[in-house]
Amino acid sequence: MKASNKFQVYIPWMILVAIVIFLPVIISSSYMISIMAFVALYGVLAIGMGILMGQAGLFSLVQPTWFGFGAYIAGILAARGLVPPGIGIIVSAVFVALIAYIIGAPILRLRGLYLACATFGILIIAQISFVQLGELTGGHSGLLGIPPLTIGGFVFKSDLHYYFLSWALCICCLMFCSNVINSRVGRAIRASHDSETASSSLGVNIPKYRLQIFILTSVMASLAGSVFCFYLRFAAPSIFGFHLLVELMLMAVIGGVGNVWGPLLGSFIITWLQEILRAYLGHFFPVMTGEVTAVFFGVFIILVLIYMPRGLVGWVEQIFRLGRRIYEHIKSSVAQ
Amino acid sequence: MTPFAEIIQYIISGVTSGSIYAMVGVCWSIIFLVTGIMNFTTGEFVMLGGMLTWVFLGAGIGLAPAVILAIAATVAIGIIVERLALRPVRYPSEMTNMVITIAAASIIKGIILITCGSETRVIQALIPVKQISILGAIITTQTILVIGVLAVMAIGLSLFFNRTLFGKALRATAINPKGASLVGIRINILIVFCFGLAGGLGAIAGIVIAPITFTGYNIGLMTGMKGLVAAIVGGWNMTGTVLAGLGLGLIEGLFGGFISPGWKDAIALLVMILFLIYRTISFSDGVNKV
Amino acid sequence: MNTSKVPLHNSKHHNIGLGRNSSLLDVDRVSKRFGGIQALNDVTFSIEQGSIISMIGPNGAGKSTFINVVTGIYAPDIGQVCFQGQDITRLPAHAIAYLGIGRTFQLEELFPSLTVLENAMVGCHTRSRCGMFSSGLRLPSAKTEEQRIREEAMENLTMIGLEHKASDSISSLPLGERKLVGIARALGIQPKFLMLDEPAGGLAAHEIEKLVKVIDILVNKGLTLFIVEHNMPFVMSVSQRVIVLDGGQKIVEGTPHEVKANERVIKAYLGEEV
Repeated sequence: MKASNKFQVYIPWMILVAIVIFLPVIISSSYMISIMAFVALYGVLAIGMGILMGQAGLFSLVQPTWFGFGAYIAGILAARGLVPPGIGIIVSAVFVALIAYIIGAPILRLRGLYLACATFGILIIAQISFVQLGELTGGHSGLLGIPPLTIGGFVFKSDLHYYFLSWALCICCLMFCSNVINSRVGRAIRASHDSETASSSLGVNIPKYRLQIFILTSVMASLAGSVFCFYLRFAAPSIFGFHLLVELMLMAVIGGVGNVWGPLLGSFIITWLQEILRAYLGHFFPVMTGEVTAVFFGVFIILVLIYMPRGLVGWVEQIFRLGRRIYEHIKSSVAQ
Repeated sequence: MTPFAEIIQYIISGVTSGSIYAMVGVCWSIIFLVTGIMNFTTGEFVMLGGMLTWVFLGAGIGLAPAVILAIAATVAIGIIVERLALRPVRYPSEMTNMVITIAAASIIKGIILITCGSETRVIQALIPVKQISILGAIITTQTILVIGVLAVMAIGLSLFFNRTLFGKALRATAINPKGASLVGIRINILIVFCFGLAGGLGAIAGIVIAPITFTGYNIGLMTGMKGLVAAIVGGWNMTGTVLAGLGLGLIEGLFGGFISPGWKDAIALLVMILFLIYRTISFSDGVNKV
Repeated sequence: MNTSKVPLHNSKHHNIGLGRNSSLLDVDRVSKRFGGIQALNDVTFSIEQGSIISMIGPNGAGKSTFINVVTGIYAPDIGQVCFQGQDITRLPAHAIAYLGIGRTFQLEELFPSLTVLENAMVGCHTRSRCGMFSSGLRLPSAKTEEQRIREEAMENLTMIGLEHKASDSISSLPLGERKLVGIARALGIQPKFLMLDEPAGGLAAHEIEKLVKVIDILVNKGLTLFIVEHNMPFVMSVSQRVIVLDGGQKIVEGTPHEVKANERVIKAYLGEEV
């Protein structure tokens, strides 16, 4: 019985990997492939957001900033030829981990809404810095001259390359996070969300684990940011701000934060929705489709929070549970 | 301009923007104290004040009616946000309310962008412009108006909360919602009132500052945040918020003038973050070691 | 209603306060004030290893505050708490758990987002060490440790008789079972000293029977118990000594019979006009 149970656990992963591998065979449009690459990258961010808000109970709004650091640091280092691009990815991740550690220790002591305010403050300050440090970052117009990613002689240049790279990153992050959530640290952090007093009385050092999760999600975001900048060969301050934050919140909420998979589903839905809206709205509002999609997303978030508060995954789980209860009911009445 | 006059000039402009932050901070406080919600559409109320006035002026209405209409419309929008977006949530949590108000702010911003375009707009001075020279610096009647409006607002609100029955009911609800409803206070009506009041006050702030700093679809974010900083640092009460707002404006004005205008906006947020961190340190007196 | 067959206070440990060397817990002049309220005032006593002590007192007497002070949720304004001779007064709550002091809560404070078994597994947190990295990468050391914790948690659940509900959600359990899960969870730290905050509160008769059986088992394992309770028959039947708290002060300390007959105790519960 144990053996078959063990096998069952791996099924969703195998399905995901299969889909990722075989999708390019079915879809030949490189536009669609590139959208799927973004689904993966934003998915990494959204998963992090989901873990922070849903499991750990931390209102941390700072994900876009780590994304931005990952992009800018790797991009700047590569553009100036200071380090090979692959190393740049690692350097930015280490740097972000350090900053997250320094900022996290004092900030994570803040409760709920105040943590949101403080992390929002960091988001805005970082965005201002990206603009003000124009020497380094290219200011408003963005960072240019980023070479393509080369690792060990292999040059990542096509959409397909970045598609596989992004999904490799996404699946690794998803696996790591899923393992953590279902382990001792994950339980401790979920418990501390339910009751700080009870979990500390059981030996859980809450600040330590909160900081660890904070750093984990920051490193994830940084890695995604680095891949992002090598893919686009570009980075600009406007990308890493309020608009992205709203999108990420929407992804997390619509997918459901009770589960690590939910935000990935949310990323899929929202990224594609944005593309579809852009195509449609492009007819009516050619100039400002970014902000306009924000209106749709705003309405969408509110509707989801009112009518489907546990997100799609939560909703599907509810349906499954209901179905199982009906099944048991039928089984027991048939047995009579 | 002599350096001394420069300082005075920065102080004047600092106090002006500080007055706005104070007013916006009061809007945040009213809603937070009574409902516990941090309403992220507060900044958009300010934006709406200016933008809607511009819209109505453009439709050919006179200045005074345009202002009144703009304030009324913003009050209505504030009430709509509460009724349509916040009230229907079945199990509201802090996180849900925050996300909803952020979403609502996005919606308001986007709609204004669609209907009014992305350029900054100017509305004419509200009172005849005169420039007065003080210690070598120049202060305009418009600036005096802003400070005057703040004073009136502060005094008016404090009379309202302390002397009128309705105001006292609001304070009671802020302290103990269950208790308040038990003595017959209709909390739902009070909450609607708070959102409307915050909308109106925010619009007024947006209107008085618009002739000085122009207005546009995206001013809500930063102005709102700075008002929030004032409210947090001021401890959410009226006096504290007003003082914090003015102080913030001053620091910003001097910093922006002498050190770097580009980084000016970051100052407010840095102040907030440092204040919040300081609070966690000073609060660890052993009450809760967790 | 004395539902246990053997009076639990028949053991040989009948004396408290034989000096610091032999006592498990020393509470010395502990005081705690919250704003205008003096929650604890100059509370002093010692608890010997292996004993069963109850603390009673009217509502608001400071009993839960006392537990919170000992377990590190609050730091006292004045006074000292020593466990096995070590000063634990300023230690944070999680460190105190590692030293072997466990507790349950008046309002259970279970973790609704986790199953019953997972709740018990959180209890075993101090008995494991693997961190985020080894868990995230599913290293063999993490997997073995996880298996071991799972077994330990199951043992604790079995002891309270709820192993068949391991995968159930907390919300599906009745009150009595939830309180037992709280005890099983606290047992996860393999405590030397267990503080129970109103374990019988709100329980029906059959649930109290079950609780007494569980307490029997704990006593036989050599656990030192500290029980805060309102339920007088329960207190009288399980405790060796009783401490009475009123208005934050310890007013009486003695055997259950001594305390029951004490005038000050009666006054404290019933008011002055007795």
